[in-house]
Amino acid sequence: MNKVKLNSASISIIPILVFIPILIELSNNFHFGGKTLFFDFILSSLRPKIDIEIITTLFLRLNETIFIALLSWFLSISLGIVFGIFSSDIFYKFSKFPIFLKHSVTFFLTIFRSIHEIIWGLILLNLYGLDISMGIIAIAIPYTAINAKVIREQLENININNIKSISQISGNSFSSFLVIVWNPILKIIRNFGIYRFECALRSTAAIGLFGIGGIGTSIILSFQNLSFRELWTYLWGLAFIILATNRILKNLNIKDIHIKIKNFILIMLPIYFIFLIFIILKFFIKSNEVLFFLIKNILQIDYNFISNQLFQYTTETIFLSLLATGIAISLPPILLFIFNNQFMIVIYRSLSFLFRLIPPPILLLFLLMFNEPSISLAAVTLGLYNAGITFKLLNENIFKNKNYLALKTTGASERLSWFFGSFIEQSKVYLTYCSYRADIIFRETALVGVIGSIGLGWQLNESLSSFSWDEVSIIILVYSSIAIIGEIMNGKIKLILK
Amino acid sequence: MNKILVEINNLSLIYKNKNILDDINFKIYEGDKIALIGTNGSGKSSLISVLNGTRKSINGEIKIFNKSITQLQNKQKINIGTIWQDLRLIDELSAEQNVNCGLLGRNNFLFAIKNLLNICSFEKAHKCMKLFLLNENLFDKNIEKLSGGEKQRIAIARSIIQEPNILFADEPFNNLDPKISIYIKDLLISRKNKFHIKIPNTQLISIHRLDLLRGFNKVMGIKNGRIIFILNTNQLKKYHLKKIY
Repeated sequence: MNKVKLNSASISIIPILVFIPILIELSNNFHFGGKTLFFDFILSSLRPKIDIEIITTLFLRLNETIFIALLSWFLSISLGIVFGIFSSDIFYKFSKFPIFLKHSVTFFLTIFRSIHEIIWGLILLNLYGLDISMGIIAIAIPYTAINAKVIREQLENININNIKSISQISGNSFSSFLVIVWNPILKIIRNFGIYRFECALRSTAAIGLFGIGGIGTSIILSFQNLSFRELWTYLWGLAFIILATNRILKNLNIKDIHIKIKNFILIMLPIYFIFLIFIILKFFIKSNEVLFFLIKNILQIDYNFISNQLFQYTTETIFLSLLATGIAISLPPILLFIFNNQFMIVIYRSLSFLFRLIPPPILLLFLLMFNEPSISLAAVTLGLYNAGITFKLLNENIFKNKNYLALKTTGASERLSWFFGSFIEQSKVYLTYCSYRADIIFRETALVGVIGSIGLGWQLNESLSSFSWDEVSIIILVYSSIAIIGEIMNGKIKLILK
Repeated sequence: MNKILVEINNLSLIYKNKNILDDINFKIYEGDKIALIGTNGSGKSSLISVLNGTRKSINGEIKIFNKSITQLQNKQKINIGTIWQDLRLIDELSAEQNVNCGLLGRNNFLFAIKNLLNICSFEKAHKCMKLFLLNENLFDKNIEKLSGGEKQRIAIARSIIQEPNILFADEPFNNLDPKISIYIKDLLISRKNKFHIKIPNTQLISIHRLDLLRGFNKVMGIKNGRIIFILNTNQLKKYHLKKIY
């Protein structure tokens, strides 16, 4: 037999093997305890509760959700642009700012990015109490850092000679810089920024599950009361908002913004940022001492905690992340490989939308009706949620190309023609996106860890509830370190794939 | 009289208000070796893509194996081989994996997985590749690393391993040096080979070089999407060529 040879297409499907240990563990823990609840849950999706009280609550909660998502999205986009510029090499090539500013900004952005919005939410919730503004800040912090990274990467592709040639004509290097960066930034907002709003909506729903507000809070309360009909009213409401905003934002043509509006934005942006920084500083410095207490406690390490539990939780978190990534990468291409026909694609699309719609903690609670809490169960939850996203990407971006047609003419089946003709060609791009998704999955382990008694997420919640700030500090430090290491490794993988 | 394998009646293809193919009528009999000639843009590639069922928005009737092309099932499509002008090889795979892709229609899902992982048998693929003068050291090379001529022969090998009954080839001798072109053309026409690989008895091959016409029993001239002549090759005269060039 020949030696196994891997290519990006086979690497995309081999992770399906993670299902072997997962299914073994799940089958050992399987029970029928939640059978009645399961059917109730499924049937309720077809007859959500509709009365004045629920509709009023739905309306108010959706309002809150949109408010939180919109503000955090706007904040993260605008701050992302600023920090993206400040962390890009190109900015320092024409300005006189010291280069250490770039390194400092990049360092802090990496830290902010490495901690999931749920963790930020839990920390802020414990520091400042229940408030909608906590939700906005919790989402805006990592989102700003992610947007800044995307913008920085885009700006790095600009040819420095263009700035030099424009500077020679205009003489003013700052205005030349703005002219050069304006279009790439607009392009990112159009291609990436708009998609981030859908993410912000989903994050708002997830963060709401922890009581911060918005539709998530109503969803978790309904689930806790086992009022599934109410739950589905909220879920369908959320689905409607996601679909509607997607449609509206896709139809917005940012290309056609009139030049005067562009100039107006250019004038208003600095004023806006000064105002923003003032508000943030005022809020943080005036109203808290606990934040500084948290930072101070990083130095007071409880060695007992580290030796007893931390290693176990860290290992669990890494395993959970690997298993969930395996599912998210391999499940969509495998399913399309095995059953590729119009009917099944409709089924996949519906399931993919549902998995993206139902916040992972709710999905996990639902799966707990049939299984004990375990790494496998948490991995399936997180894996399915992310497979919903990777499926969407795969389905929208892989077209029936020339190679597909060529294989079809040889009498190859639809699924084989799709896989060998269309998927293989796109598999490098798909894997590159998946390596970026793997970063996110690691951060999202906090999301299911809190509910599923698994890993660092669970311990973080416990430590926060008991105000053990020293433990909180260590967990965040570990989370952040692993996320950064993972990001570096994924960066290398992306380079290889390029 | 030999069996009719392909029958085309009143075929036309309009794309962007332009007649790509216009009122085409002809029959291909079993055992025919037809050379399709014409200038660039005359409609040769379009005709081949219509014949193999890739281009669908057509007027008229195409029957292959006595069945309308739209009703052909996968097991019948296996018997139609195509060599594409743009080759349509899969860059991610090795040369031998690409050749084995010609067998996807005849094999099951497991074969496809094994081919993807490089653990299936390449015996037949290697025979086909040797038949078209590809060196052994190229077998496991990635397609991206091969020269134009090597890729061309991989594409030919992929369509031959399929063992079709009829072959449509769109300028298959592009990228090949004159000596190899003649060798491969003669091999396709004579069908005799030491590996006993089945080469289709019926062929429609578009060519640009008229020195390759020898061996074909018929020649079809096409201009501006219309068939100008279909003749026995020995009847072809200069004035026929003047009509199309």
